Amino acid sequence: MDPILEHKLLATRRHLLGSMAGGIGAMAMRDLLAAGAAPVSDPMAARLPPLPAKAKRMIVIHLTGSPPHLDLYDHKPELVKHDGEDCPAETIAGKKFAFTSGTPKLLGSPRKWVRCGASGMELSDAIPNLHRVADKLCLVKSMFTDQFNHAPAELMVYTGSPRAGRPSLGSWATYGLGSENENLPGFVVLISSGVQPNGGTSSFGSGFLPSVYQGVQCRSKGDPVLYVSDPPGMDRAMRRKSLDALKDLNELQARELGNPETVTRIAQYELAYRMQASVPDVMDISKEPQAVLDAYGAKPGQSSLANNCLLARRLVEEGVRFVHLFDWGWDFHGTGPKEDIRDGLTTKAATFDKPAAALIEDLEQRGLLADTLILCTGEFGRTPFREGRTAKGDVLGRDHYPDCYSVWMAGGGVKPGYVHGASDDLGFKVAHDMVHIHDLQATLLHLLGFDHTKLTYRFQGRDFRLTDVHGHVVKEILA
Amino acid sequence: MNAFATGLTLLTRRSARARGLVRQSATLICVAIASHASFAAAAAPALRFDRDIRPILSENCFACHGPGKQEAGLRLDSAADATRELDSGSRAIVPGDFGASELAARLEATDADVVMPPPHTNKILKPEEKDLLKRWIAAGAHYEKHWAFQPIVKPEAPAVTDPAATSPIDRFLESRLAMEGMAVNAEADRPTLIRRVTFALTGLPPTTAEVDAFLADNTPDAYERLVDSLLTSPQHGEEMARHWLDVARYADTHGLHLDNERQMWAYRDWVVKAFNDNLPFDRFTIEQLAGDLLPAATRDQKVATGFSRCNVTTSEGGSINDELLFRYAVDRTATVTNAWMGLTGQCAVCHDHKFDPISAREFYSLYAFFNSAADPGFDGNKLLTAPTLKLPSGEQESRLAALDARLPELKATLDEVVGGLAYVDPVTLDPKPEPVRAETVWLDDEFPPAAAVRSGPGGPLDWFTSTVPGEVLSGHRSLERTATGIGQDFYESGAEPIVIPAKSEIFANVWLDPAAPPKALMLQFHTGGWKHRAVWGDPAVIGWGQLGTESLVAMGPLPEAGKWGRLSVTADKLGLADGAKVTGFALTQFDGHVRWDLVGLSTIDDPTANPTKSLSAWWQERTGKDKLDDVPKPLQAIVRQGQEKTTKPNEIDLVQRHWLTKVWSEQPDRLVLAARALDDAQKERDQVDAAIVQTFVFNDLPAMRDSFVMLRGAYDKPGEKVERSTPAFLPSLPIVEGIPLTRLDLAKWLVSPEHPLTARVTANRLWQQFFGLGLVKTSDDFGSQGEPPSHPELLDWLAAEYRESGWNTRALVKRIVTSRAFRRSGVVEPAHLAQDPENRLLARGPRIRLDAEQIRDQSLALSGLLVVAMGGKGVKPYQPDNIWEPVGFAGSDTRNYKRDSGTALYRRSLYTFLKRTAPPPFMVNFDAPNREQFCARRERSNTPLQALQLMNDTQHIEAARALAARMLAEAAGDDASRIEWLVRTVLARRPEPEEAAVVMETLATHRVRYAADAESAKKLIAHGETKPPESADPGELAAWTLVANMLLNLDETLTRN
Repeated sequence: MDPILEHKLLATRRHLLGSMAGGIGAMAMRDLLAAGAAPVSDPMAARLPPLPAKAKRMIVIHLTGSPPHLDLYDHKPELVKHDGEDCPAETIAGKKFAFTSGTPKLLGSPRKWVRCGASGMELSDAIPNLHRVADKLCLVKSMFTDQFNHAPAELMVYTGSPRAGRPSLGSWATYGLGSENENLPGFVVLISSGVQPNGGTSSFGSGFLPSVYQGVQCRSKGDPVLYVSDPPGMDRAMRRKSLDALKDLNELQARELGNPETVTRIAQYELAYRMQASVPDVMDISKEPQAVLDAYGAKPGQSSLANNCLLARRLVEEGVRFVHLFDWGWDFHGTGPKEDIRDGLTTKAATFDKPAAALIEDLEQRGLLADTLILCTGEFGRTPFREGRTAKGDVLGRDHYPDCYSVWMAGGGVKPGYVHGASDDLGFKVAHDMVHIHDLQATLLHLLGFDHTKLTYRFQGRDFRLTDVHGHVVKEILA
Repeated sequence: MNAFATGLTLLTRRSARARGLVRQSATLICVAIASHASFAAAAAPALRFDRDIRPILSENCFACHGPGKQEAGLRLDSAADATRELDSGSRAIVPGDFGASELAARLEATDADVVMPPPHTNKILKPEEKDLLKRWIAAGAHYEKHWAFQPIVKPEAPAVTDPAATSPIDRFLESRLAMEGMAVNAEADRPTLIRRVTFALTGLPPTTAEVDAFLADNTPDAYERLVDSLLTSPQHGEEMARHWLDVARYADTHGLHLDNERQMWAYRDWVVKAFNDNLPFDRFTIEQLAGDLLPAATRDQKVATGFSRCNVTTSEGGSINDELLFRYAVDRTATVTNAWMGLTGQCAVCHDHKFDPISAREFYSLYAFFNSAADPGFDGNKLLTAPTLKLPSGEQESRLAALDARLPELKATLDEVVGGLAYVDPVTLDPKPEPVRAETVWLDDEFPPAAAVRSGPGGPLDWFTSTVPGEVLSGHRSLERTATGIGQDFYESGAEPIVIPAKSEIFANVWLDPAAPPKALMLQFHTGGWKHRAVWGDPAVIGWGQLGTESLVAMGPLPEAGKWGRLSVTADKLGLADGAKVTGFALTQFDGHVRWDLVGLSTIDDPTANPTKSLSAWWQERTGKDKLDDVPKPLQAIVRQGQEKTTKPNEIDLVQRHWLTKVWSEQPDRLVLAARALDDAQKERDQVDAAIVQTFVFNDLPAMRDSFVMLRGAYDKPGEKVERSTPAFLPSLPIVEGIPLTRLDLAKWLVSPEHPLTARVTANRLWQQFFGLGLVKTSDDFGSQGEPPSHPELLDWLAAEYRESGWNTRALVKRIVTSRAFRRSGVVEPAHLAQDPENRLLARGPRIRLDAEQIRDQSLALSGLLVVAMGGKGVKPYQPDNIWEPVGFAGSDTRNYKRDSGTALYRRSLYTFLKRTAPPPFMVNFDAPNREQFCARRERSNTPLQALQLMNDTQHIEAARALAARMLAEAAGDDASRIEWLVRTVLARRPEPEEAAVVMETLATHRVRYAADAESAKKLIAHGETKPPESADPGELAAWTLVANMLLNLDETLTRN
């Protein structure tokens, strides 16, 4: 079908779905009730995107705080050579940094670098497990953003705007695509290593899109989804009995008043009932074979990125459209030994690279990698120089840096074993093939089957989109 | 099918709740039915630019040929521009001649390079739209100013055939319905009606007593009197405020990064009070936008300016001050533009508006009104980011006044006493006084103040109290311990460190039980660690420290048992040098029964060197020191320079006075008393002052900041300088040369009689509040991209009426809820659904899902748990763990959610503490905005997460149990009566037999289940902080709790029917 026409149809349908009447239009309620039909206005019903999609689902691994890309992905021998020297004036002239002023000293990476796989992609020794899957990674070394503080930068990555209030990437994706499992939320968020994300729930919020598209946080403590457990003292049979009665009474109401919303409500309660069984089930990783748990480094009952990577696989396997992982603790300023780019980074990276590599391999083994897109990023990069506050100490750390950094993707439609763009010799600027956050977003939406300029929602009189008024698809990284 | 026939087939089944259709007069039904895809236009023959044409042009053309951009030189939003000859030689529109218009050719072209709109825009004109354009051009292409920008002229309400339709609102609506050929529903039955209007006006359900009274009231004005009483209930102000607080983006935290608490709930309470006082909307506007600028502004008027302080702020390190200030001013400008004028000002932050005639220059001219705000870019993560206003209560005010009157008297008394003193510094005596031995006691009946005392091993702290002389050495009690092995009492933190002077001796007194003497006694001292020990008796038995070092000094045998003996050791011997700071001590024994008393320090006191006896010595100690925390700020510089360099008598006097009153240890009683009286009064004043509630207010800087058009919305790219002014397409706000306009001018302009937008936008928002949808559905966009009103005349009538009534909000609300339209039955007929799925024409009554707050408040109200106390600091009701924690920063004061207890759990939801980065789940789940930005319209979604919350949330389970308990106490004893009681309480109506049967059957199942499992029953009814009645049988209460929970989850319960 003509993609423009198809999009139009989609938009029209969406308009109907979003309308007060629940989109039921002129359909006869009584017939629907009689037939026991599925809800006609399920906004999470799976739907095809307007353009051919390479990726059917997506997993984001967000390393909150922003990892030191110059010690993980972007080897700069020139920087090592000039380690300890003053930053050249032109690299810092007129720039502001979060915690550095004056003339800082260049900081060459103390890490060892390894050429990996057939592609020869250079990766540091902090992430030995990712070496194994280098040929599946698509590494972009020419990212840049506009923001150098955590909260606005993170909102920028996931909502396209540094201010809170816009829909997040996962919300746009589920708004466009619905979800393939009607017993689970379509957009799931998993958080490890304690606090964060920086942008609060706005980093996975639905903004002005209907709240059905907001990320549902699945928790490692308490209910995996809020209120999913029946209260103590009530068992499943009693819940079923209550719901049957509720349904009977609601149906009487629907017949009496003929309002389509009532039919939708009946369906939502039934879905809730199914979720009560399916959510705890999918969140229970103790059912995985020991070999799989070991591959990820996952331990049932813990809150860790390893567990969350494994859960991400379980969720996408079940048809969840978008899984967003946040792992706190990557803000390598050097204010303590844990934030040192030597041992501190080795320790932290071990909690990430093993499960990340395992996730890629596991998805591939299950035939899911081809149409599952993985993105791994922070909210920005880190400076090629030592952070100002900690420069006199023993710990090596780097400040926030928006002008040039690296992210990687894998799976669903990106070129494997491919490096896109490069930084200049000292890592201060993008040398070629600049990719702005909005370009990255345009590309992600493209892979999911959308023209980023056409996936819009009207709010306050304006058609809003993830990429605001910017963004170009980075064609070079498409497989 | 015509409406009449529909009515016949659909007469309701339930006689008890008769609902049906009122037939319009037969002549009306015979009018041909014109079915419209859009309800923007009535079926009127004449075309109107505003209603029929502009929406098409705006949607499809203005982006490239409008106010913001004129590709090929063409601008289609004004007649002159659209009809003039273009550079290409053609004319887009030739009035009266469609064929000659270039537009015609472009619309019909098939060549992708020629056709308009171009394919890449994704816009395709429908044939009927093309037809409208054709007819319009053929008829002369008459342009009109956009409807919302035209002056408001009060239209005459049309005549309708039904004499009962007396209100103008109904005459407008019903004439339109007649034109569409739609029959209207009858009035809703009374139970539905009272529940609907009570929720609409108070956000709460009616009580059964209120329902009964209404059902029994057969007077013709029963409904009107009900409305009047609801409008004057305090809960009305709360319900109205809730909607406005969405617009004002009110919350209890700053919103970004640490997202710390901010204190401005007084503004929220002001809004409630404003509605309860029925503050006219013009004053409501002026006080919020410029209350601080009113002559002799009252406290309330200043509190109202909190409106412009509700925006999200940050204090994240590394942010740029100028950018933050810019962002805040933009937010405030856009909020005012949108809230009062329904215009999407944000577009003009970056460029001239593409659709509406608001240029970037005009936006920044509005922004100039808010660009001189006195509040800082960085909020400091503070509870009170200046400017704030203190709000003392009457009691606090009078206490402060009393103290302020008393303080000078006390000060005078002290001065008099000080003046009468004949202090002689011992340094100046000749001969100098001899040093004497003096004791400082650390422990006598109590450990040092604030010491974190711990005990063990060997059991808890124990005191021996006795009045027999000699049994207790000093005071009224001794520390007592019987140990097997090691036993001790100690502290190592909490108390002020003890400074050890030179030549000190540390002592402790002990009484050993002759029947059970210990093997060893030990004194230990903590200086950042336990490093100093003295032991009597067996030095090895306790086993700590290394003998022969200061970590274990053997002091010889134990004192004699059966009488008080003194242990003493010089500080030197323990390695406690002059000035060492002891942060704790331990009294340790091995075996035996021991009493301890009077522990302290014995030292040689040289009055000439003692800073509490010699002013010189005190001063000398402080001379040249940077940190002088124990000296009042104004004296620090003088003290620092030293006694010798201080020569001014008044300075000497000040220091001496401070020393005599605050430091001197040999004060005569009259000085002690006078100094303490002043001190106490001053402390009380400080405490009273600190306890005064404050609130964020809006002020301008003393000097105005210059404002510029910021190029492409970048804070650091100022373009042309602008002065404060209002957009040209709106009525002008005269500028007097040399006198800049103020926010007060702007506020007055917004509510001036000429302003076309404020009254329309506000009346429309009120309409939306009661009917679920506005007459202008896009209640936040009255520009050309917004949807035109479904009933333009009605909207103008409402707006004009509102203004003419003196902006009487309550009167307008009353008009709306007493209309026939509001009172109609909500039954949905298939024909209606087909013709008008969104109920824009209001042939049926409004039926909308309750809002988040209403749903929670309803559960609380029906269960009898609701606490109706109004106002005050936000409260923290039940919330699952880990809502705040995963998003909270380590340093944030809203990192950990500390649930309140007691009445705070049952307050109305309006008073729930709102943390922006992690709002309460009950709000988020039910579409409440997180108050990050202006919101005029909530979504109404229907999700499984909502179902889970209502089924399983502690708040709702507790409410269900409380409701069941209420039922057991209040209803008659048989099941049928109880079910009837429950349904009546929850739904304000009686159950149908069919419904009662369903409930009965469910009840029976649960009852059997719980009868066999008392443990589960007890668990279920134990939810929440309130306790189930002890008299209730757990199984019975549990079964009814589940029934109540189910009824509280009914679609009908969650809906304003």
